[in-house]
Amino acid sequence: MKQEQFVLRHQAEWEAFELWLHAHVDGPRRKPGAASIGRNGGLDDGQVPARYRRLCQQLALARRRGYSTPLLERLQELMQRGHAVLYRAPPPRWRRAAEFLVAGFPQLVRSQAGCMWASLALFAVPLVGLFVLLQFRPELVHQLLDPQQIAQIEAMYDPSDARHALGRDSGTDWQMFGHYVMNNISIGLRTFAGGLLAGVGTILVLIANGVNIGAVAGHLQAIGHGDPFWRFVAGHAPLELTAIVIAGGAGLRLGLGLVAPGRRRRRDSLVHAGRIGARLCMGVAVMLLLAAFVEAFWSSTQSIPAWGKYTVSAVMWLGVIGWLWRGGHGAAVDEGDDAS
Amino acid sequence: MPAPPVAGHGGGAQVAASPMLDTYREVLTPEGVALHLPAAGPVPRALAWLIDLMLRVGVLMVMSMVLGVLGGFGQGLYLVGMFLVFWAYPIVLEAAWNGQTPGKRALGLRVLASDGAPVGWLPAVVRNLMRTVDMLPFGYATGLVACLCDRHSRRLGDLVADTVVVHVAPRRIDPSLPPATPQAPGQSLLPDEQAAIVAFGERAPRLSAGRQAELAALLYPLTGTAGSEGVRRLYGMANWLLGRR
Repeated sequence: MKQEQFVLRHQAEWEAFELWLHAHVDGPRRKPGAASIGRNGGLDDGQVPARYRRLCQQLALARRRGYSTPLLERLQELMQRGHAVLYRAPPPRWRRAAEFLVAGFPQLVRSQAGCMWASLALFAVPLVGLFVLLQFRPELVHQLLDPQQIAQIEAMYDPSDARHALGRDSGTDWQMFGHYVMNNISIGLRTFAGGLLAGVGTILVLIANGVNIGAVAGHLQAIGHGDPFWRFVAGHAPLELTAIVIAGGAGLRLGLGLVAPGRRRRRDSLVHAGRIGARLCMGVAVMLLLAAFVEAFWSSTQSIPAWGKYTVSAVMWLGVIGWLWRGGHGAAVDEGDDAS
Repeated sequence: MPAPPVAGHGGGAQVAASPMLDTYREVLTPEGVALHLPAAGPVPRALAWLIDLMLRVGVLMVMSMVLGVLGGFGQGLYLVGMFLVFWAYPIVLEAAWNGQTPGKRALGLRVLASDGAPVGWLPAVVRNLMRTVDMLPFGYATGLVACLCDRHSRRLGDLVADTVVVHVAPRRIDPSLPPATPQAPGQSLLPDEQAAIVAFGERAPRLSAGRQAELAALLYPLTGTAGSEGVRRLYGMANWLLGRR
């Protein structure tokens, strides 16, 4: 068939497709089906996939027959625009996100149990070890924290100083909330990303955090400032510490994907681990957001007696552990909402 | 946006090996046609990043001025805003706005999944979280090295997320040719032969007359003549091949 005949035969079809693309993508956004037929150049949304496949076939034909470059370019452009519309990822849904938090996330954490336990060990062993060590050799704290830092935390949790003890005005609460969001969530996300360095970044962050928290807690306990400290951290510790461990687990999984790809190609294995990590990170970000809320508005309230704080803390520990242990149990495993 | 029925997602897409020393990436779609994806190099991407950076700093400055009057509460909001500008800005814009941040839009770049489909939420999250590593040890040095080593200029974040940054508008070939009576070639030509003749029409006017004639003489079997007449015939064929009849 001559090019002129080919163009003549299909011209109307291409123009309709182009009009639809124009109305659909470049025009104002509207609900599906709301676009009037007339404005869409007579093309209904339902017909588009079939039209797109016809266009692909016509492009292949035109290419095979060696038609002129401008025609090929025009068809190629139409095809690529059509492809971009038809193959896009489905928009996120709130219901989906809620389901993920309740069921999908705990399932995902359990499915990566090995990495999670390793992450917990890397974090908790230095923490608990140092805490215990500092009860017997309190002077060792000077090897771990610099004097300024020590003076600062001692002043912050001084039980005899009413000014510094926990209570703050509401303005500062909000300020601290912002600080915790920026600081803690960033640390969580970086802990995951560090896994790309064959897991080394994640391991270092986990150990450093374990050492730091262990040293601070051990020192305050050893010098008798334990009470205000424990009352302060009891509330948000369940969410915050767990979230850091999960972010670490996601980072270790990423490192493992690079170091030990198993039966996948190394790149595919990395991509796979990255997807898992990204989903874990979304959950971690939500957990740290809640933790920041608790830390800013509950942990700092001084008026609540110690037993109240510890009860709430116990309930939250049980809640977090129960959620991770049983959440989504028995439900179908949700393999990547918008997986690609 | 309304989502028309979506065909199987990327399952059949594959990347054709290209023999050319080019960043041009061809991806076969499940329909059996090739998407042409001109991968973007580090320089336009760095410029896009700079524009985004200025925009983000600008937003933060405006926020600090407005929220500064609100005291501690404003400070808290400012820090939350800083978190959003720092982490969420590229993720949300790339996932929800056709793979483009304002900087990328200004430079005509777009993030795509490596199979040529629009980038989804998870890949957008991955590639932007991985910036932490690409930034090491300073100024995106790791990302730059990865970018220069990879055939399609992908930084580490792109490799892990399986995405690629491409130029949006492929160079539109609307070549200006010297005027000549359009003339059909005597025989049917293969696509690369057609392209060679059109390229000759585009570039020959910048060469000396002697060189033009020398090149045109190579096509003696096609034009049947040599010298300046042969050059004119080739111009005519180039015009004809571009559909100017």
